[in-house]
Amino acid sequence: MDISPESLLDMHERMVRIRTFEEEAGKLMEAGKVPGALHLYVGEEAVAAGIMVHLSNDDQITSTHRGHGHLVAKGGDLGRMFAELFGRATGYCKGKGGSMHISDLDLGMLGANGIVGAGPPIAIGAAFSNKYRGTTNVTCCFFGDGASNEGTFHEAANMAALYRLPVVFVCENNGYGEFTSQERHQAIHDVADRAPGYGMPGIVVDGMDAIAVYEAAGEAIARARRGEGPSLLECKTYRFLDHVGVRGMGVVYRTDDEVVEWRRRDPIVLLEERLAGAGLLPAEEAAAVRERVLGQVKAAIAYAESSPHPDPSALLQDVYTLATDAPR
Amino acid sequence: MAAAPIGIIANPASGKDIRRLVAHASVFDNQEKRSIVRRAILGAVAAGADRFFFMPDPHLIVEQALEGLGVEAAFEPVDSPRTGSAIDTTRSAALMREAGCAPVITLGGDGTNRAAAKAWRDIPLVAISTGTNNVFPRMMEATIAGAAAGLVASGAIALDDVAQQAKTVHVRVEGGPEDLALIDAVLLDEPFVGAKAVWQPTRLRTLVLARAEPAAVGLSAIGGLLAPVSAREDAGLLVHAGVGGDELLAPIAPGLFEPVPIVSCRRLALGEAVEFEGPGVIALDGEREVTLHRGQRAQLSVLRDGPFVIDVARTLSLAACRGLFRLSPNGGTDAR
Repeated sequence: MDISPESLLDMHERMVRIRTFEEEAGKLMEAGKVPGALHLYVGEEAVAAGIMVHLSNDDQITSTHRGHGHLVAKGGDLGRMFAELFGRATGYCKGKGGSMHISDLDLGMLGANGIVGAGPPIAIGAAFSNKYRGTTNVTCCFFGDGASNEGTFHEAANMAALYRLPVVFVCENNGYGEFTSQERHQAIHDVADRAPGYGMPGIVVDGMDAIAVYEAAGEAIARARRGEGPSLLECKTYRFLDHVGVRGMGVVYRTDDEVVEWRRRDPIVLLEERLAGAGLLPAEEAAAVRERVLGQVKAAIAYAESSPHPDPSALLQDVYTLATDAPR
Repeated sequence: MAAAPIGIIANPASGKDIRRLVAHASVFDNQEKRSIVRRAILGAVAAGADRFFFMPDPHLIVEQALEGLGVEAAFEPVDSPRTGSAIDTTRSAALMREAGCAPVITLGGDGTNRAAAKAWRDIPLVAISTGTNNVFPRMMEATIAGAAAGLVASGAIALDDVAQQAKTVHVRVEGGPEDLALIDAVLLDEPFVGAKAVWQPTRLRTLVLARAEPAAVGLSAIGGLLAPVSAREDAGLLVHAGVGGDELLAPIAPGLFEPVPIVSCRRLALGEAVEFEGPGVIALDGEREVTLHRGQRAQLSVLRDGPFVIDVARTLSLAACRGLFRLSPNGGTDAR
């Protein structure tokens, strides 16, 4: 698959934007400035970026509880995201949803989700709509190794294959379902092994290598656009920070050595080395990207901090849709 | 005579790459690999093997294969970390050499056997294919493959009688470590290693083939359909591909016959030097491995110094001729 210099640099910037957003969000959470829990995406950036550069706003994604990276990579507004984390009225959910409920329908981001495994049925609904309306739009469904044990995943995979829906199931296998290691929650190691059982191809790709994800995602998405049905793309990745927040909740479930080992394969460093080797992004230009993105993130935080809290009168708004407002 | 131990290397990652999307390759799930390991062990034990060393892997393929197997044999993992990468195979092969394994059973593709040969160039092998488009390992029933391994390990059949030494392609990249391929080393017009597999014929530039097999799938088939060079012949093949060449229709991946533009093709003598020059990526046995920067060079040559590959059918034929599976009056088989 061809990959243009523009796509490579675009992918790099999306990854840096995710990393910077998450690191700053983590600091704010640790400082007690963010109400609620954050599940940070640091370490998994190559997956979101490698997928999202193939998608337009007409293509949908469903996300997870670890969803900031997906929305940032899809072009989410950083100010509105931070405002939501801070519980401000300018946030994506008017400050009433928090980290795990952010969505942006204009970008085709159908929502983060606090329920593990809730995304797949939503994704195939969108994919069914794409097909029914005769579009070439594709839905990418992000989920984890833990979610692949949920009934929702299995039902969605079955229906997607049955109706040959234009959906790509993107398993972000970071080796842990919350605090439970994969070998303690499923008897298989490759979630991709489950795909043939539903009648779709499944492949494994190095989720720390953005170019590898880009190539594999490009093929899976193109296949779906051509009407050839769903596929499962398992990206082997790792969360550098804890399940929740930065330092986590003190639960002992993995070793420091393991974290150090995975950090040696930092996806951003890996991509920057490749781009520098190809003469596309010298070190000083990479530093400039980081600097520029940090400025954007700081500005977004300032916007969020200066935004008002929602008025108490808004508490019951947007809870139910009135029947008369429902689309017909 | 005590039986030599048998090594088992089951690559958990084989059979899962992008060629399931861009071509029509089979999926080898790890449950199937467990079954294959089980059958190979049972075959080997029936033929007289009683000690095994195996590669520990994060998927626990061999450990789970052993659960409830109930055979009278000793099993021990080699002391290799479970990184989940090709390093595990290379490291395990080195340790199996130290442990005196003869032979080693591999489950994987060309890449798996290549990773083993990197540590143990002339490793004695029973190579079972669980990869994608393989030339080096063969698709075969593991029970019988295991039996062949057991016959050699027990000393009932001599390795020299049933094994042939494979050729290799030596690859020396300027400023890099020496590498090797068992079947093909190919210069591609690609900037990055990416998802590793090779499936776009327009990217092919120069192919150095240790074997050019007309009945294979993959890059070896390109040479094979031009000018076959078998495993037995002391020669290699050099193919130049690129814009303006005459098109050859070749199966470069499972189910994927594609036109490949061929500029030239000639046989190589063993030891004859070929040079690649960057920019580009070198694919070894069908996987993009090494990035060559602009002007960077690599020296390649085909030699016959590779693994000793056991011919399973020949091993079983010899065993039949010698009556090795006839049960003797006092029980057991003569193979034991």
